[in-house]
Amino acid sequence: MNQVPNIPARVLVTKIGLDGHDRGSRIIAAYFRDAGMEVIYTNPWQKIDAVVTLALEEDVDVIGISSLATDHLLVPKLMKALVEAELAHIRVVVGGIIPDEDEVDLLAAGVAKVFHPGAAREEIVEAVEKFAVDAANDRPQD
Amino acid sequence: MNKIDKTPAPVLADSAADWQRNYDKMIGQDKTIKNRSGIEVKPLYWPQEDGDGSYVAKLGFPGADPMTRGIYPTMHRGRTWSQRQLIGLGRPEDFNERIKGILKSGATALSIIPCNSVYRGLDCDEVEPEILGTCGTILNTVEDMDISLKDIPIGEISIGLNDPNPFTMLAQMLIVAENRGISWDKITGTSNQSDYISHFVANHMFYRLSLPGARRVQMDTIAYLAEHVPNWNALSIVGQHMQQAGATPAQAMGLTLSTAIQYANDCIERGMDPEVFFERFTFFFDISISFFEEVAKFRAGRRIWNTLVTERFGVSNPRAKRFKFHAQTSGLDLTRQQPLNNIARVTAQAMAGIFGGLQSMHTDGYDEVLSTPSEDSAKIAISTQNILKHEAHLCDVVDPLGGSYYVEELTDAMEAEILDVIAQVDAQGGMYKAVESGFVQEMIGASALDYQDKVDNGEQIIVGVNAYQEEEDASARPVLKRPSPEHMQDQVDRFKAVKAARDPRALSKALDALRDAAKSKDQNVFAAELDAVRAGATLGEIVNVLRDELGFGMPLVVA
Amino acid sequence: MSDTHEKSELAVRLLAGQRPALARAISIIEGQSEAIRRLLKAIQPHLGRALVVGFTGPPGAGKSTLVNAFIAEMRKRGKTVAVAAVDPSSPITGGAVLGDRIRMAEHTMDNGVFIRSLASRGHLGGLSASAARVADLMDAAGYDVVVLETVGAGQSEVEMAEMADVKIVVSAPGLGDDVQAIKAGILEIADILVVNKDDLPLASRTRRQLESMLALRVPGDWKVPVLSTNAVDKTGLPELADAIERKAALRQAKGARDMQSSRTRRLLAQTAAKTVEDHILRDQSAAAEAIISALQQSDIDLRDATAKILNLLHESLSDE
Repeated sequence: MNQVPNIPARVLVTKIGLDGHDRGSRIIAAYFRDAGMEVIYTNPWQKIDAVVTLALEEDVDVIGISSLATDHLLVPKLMKALVEAELAHIRVVVGGIIPDEDEVDLLAAGVAKVFHPGAAREEIVEAVEKFAVDAANDRPQD
Repeated sequence: MNKIDKTPAPVLADSAADWQRNYDKMIGQDKTIKNRSGIEVKPLYWPQEDGDGSYVAKLGFPGADPMTRGIYPTMHRGRTWSQRQLIGLGRPEDFNERIKGILKSGATALSIIPCNSVYRGLDCDEVEPEILGTCGTILNTVEDMDISLKDIPIGEISIGLNDPNPFTMLAQMLIVAENRGISWDKITGTSNQSDYISHFVANHMFYRLSLPGARRVQMDTIAYLAEHVPNWNALSIVGQHMQQAGATPAQAMGLTLSTAIQYANDCIERGMDPEVFFERFTFFFDISISFFEEVAKFRAGRRIWNTLVTERFGVSNPRAKRFKFHAQTSGLDLTRQQPLNNIARVTAQAMAGIFGGLQSMHTDGYDEVLSTPSEDSAKIAISTQNILKHEAHLCDVVDPLGGSYYVEELTDAMEAEILDVIAQVDAQGGMYKAVESGFVQEMIGASALDYQDKVDNGEQIIVGVNAYQEEEDASARPVLKRPSPEHMQDQVDRFKAVKAARDPRALSKALDALRDAAKSKDQNVFAAELDAVRAGATLGEIVNVLRDELGFGMPLVVA
Repeated sequence: MSDTHEKSELAVRLLAGQRPALARAISIIEGQSEAIRRLLKAIQPHLGRALVVGFTGPPGAGKSTLVNAFIAEMRKRGKTVAVAAVDPSSPITGGAVLGDRIRMAEHTMDNGVFIRSLASRGHLGGLSASAARVADLMDAAGYDVVVLETVGAGQSEVEMAEMADVKIVVSAPGLGDDVQAIKAGILEIADILVVNKDDLPLASRTRRQLESMLALRVPGDWKVPVLSTNAVDKTGLPELADAIERKAALRQAKGARDMQSSRTRRLLAQTAAKTVEDHILRDQSAAAEAIISALQQSDIDLRDATAKILNLLHESLSDE
């Protein structure tokens, strides 16, 4: 293990693109809080560079993107921006309405996992807990 | 009737006779309906006696106080609900093609869904191309609207416009009508997303201007339309967003009625006459799959509205008390797993809406949760309505569930819950203040978490999700069709060309006038907006000017 | 990291104002490692420049919106601002949903503003034990103004007193019991009282109530003003900023070092208290049980029991 992991894990829950439904992200934030994580919760319609700034200032381990509509199509841009900002250790998960073909592309772009409607709470929480540890391991030296 | 006769409940007989008379007048040519067994199916059923007067007092007859059983004497037996499917995708031409197909399949009204970029107040050249036109039609200019409605008889068909404050789509459509020589008093339809408060609270995507800014534009628009487009429903008060965000059915109804109270007060403050403006108040609700609860919700809502308008606002015009509503089957009840099951779900939801007495309905496609619905699934959604109408004969009797011990007691119970929510909002100083402070958002958020808990711990079973699961083949799911980037690039190119061809002086003058109107206290912003549209101003240009003057809209998200 | 280095790499980057370094330093500052001690030592000479402003008050007062407006005002005056927004952690799960910065979204892309959301992390007072440290890190990173925002709960206002140069208590009309929502303790430490949402009908009544409560305070060399703001419209902010700067000037006269020393003392007191508490709760030894039992039977009184258990603790700590 390279670095002292954030205890508790810190997760940014946010939405990019145009959609404004936030019931899902609110529920996910509650899941993470109940699992002992610290959630930084934002307004919808975040621009990519704002997400990067938030991730950096808040030193998060995981970014959770909630996406309905086709906003997930912007996630590959986010993945690139994170690499450019030297934040490649942060794991990104995407949840919402994601067609199968698009899921393939997201995973190829470096997204750690895609969650679909009906995903069980334990599954989501366990995955994100593990990702937070992975992120800590991959975090560059202080 | 013998006046000296002291037999009990003359009122029931009188009320029944009134109803029969109104029914006969409205139905025109009524047909005798017999079921498969040869039994005649009457238009309405009611008790033989009403000893304590509670039937007349609490239920009444359809079209009469207290309106529990329906707003018209004939309801669906006389005229079925408008089949108003939401359509929107890609470029205006794509919409035009799709809407013609849907009208041929039996839809009787149209409803336009614009692209999410339009909802956000962004022109197509301001948005990443990947997300353009994937969920709705690009409508930035008058030209776009004209193409969308090519060969569609605007003055003869009811149009639902899903554009939020400041209603650029409505402005575009009015100018298209003007250009086609269609008189504005022939235009019927509804501004489906005019309820800015519901957007501030839930489904924030529709929200563009600051809360007070939106209020200003909404009031100006209502006033303008009352004078110039008298048959247009300027106001659709939306319960759907709040229920989708997690409000319980009773809360959604209570919050919606509270919003209506707020808007009514705003109109009165503006000097408008409740006897007149209430006629143009319409509602838009979610229909969840909690079948009987939804039926009771609508019946209770209709009764409460009648009482509210009469007692709280002192209105006597019977047309002003009608609880007219459009409803949409809830996409949140649909699942990604075993998607064909969703056809059954939509059927149950639609039935609840029909028994609840709606005036207009949209049924979801079964693939709603997978991506933008396909043409085939949209057709099945329409057929579902037709099957319920023609094969299940759900329209033969007005309020057929009326009188059921369960449904009546549940209607009363829902009424009590709904009234309690209204009282809570009243205590906050009304709906505007209640959302400004976050009170409503917290209420809805708590209910959302509550419901999720029930699903998570299995208390609420969802077939295919937390029970009756099956291994599924991903390749069996329908392939999604999105407009190609090249296709949308053509739209952007055309858009830029249209912009370039405008008279820059006229445009600049019109936008300045819009700015002045917004800055002023007494000029009508919507009137200025129409002039801006005439001068070729785009959606984005108009929204930007208004954002500058009236404030950028960021809803109060409660963590 | 080699012991021969006086300043760790992280400290160098933080002192140069690099945002990633500040973000990372805040994350690790609650730890106790040697590297952290060195980091804190490295920044010591660079402290005392920033003006630390604390915002507290009951939920619903609009603190975050007010901080947002305050940031805008400071930026207009050419100052850089760092914000530590503290929200309570769940006492049961240890998790938290941190949403204060939602109200400050307009400043996300401003390079002169740094916002960090902090959870109280089980600290009963509502401020995390390391909040003072976080303020120091932000100070060392070169921000002109450091804002600490917390919910007025438990002891947090008292802790705020040791951390902030200027303490703002925010209230709003119609918050249930209005001014009762502001405990007397907060009023004691407040340097400036703000009535936010001044467009609400009861605003002037709230002002009058606050003013009359202030009249009961022991007079000092600073007269506590009651200011009105509307954080949404951003009115009243220049007056608030002016009052803050006036109070800050007074602080300069008194010396920042006093503040720091009392801050450190309180941090030590809190940490020591927590250590003692943890030990006593967990001590299963026969000796501890005997003391507890004797107290329960009232064979000894509470004062004796305390002395005895502290002695026991001292011995076991010496053994460790």
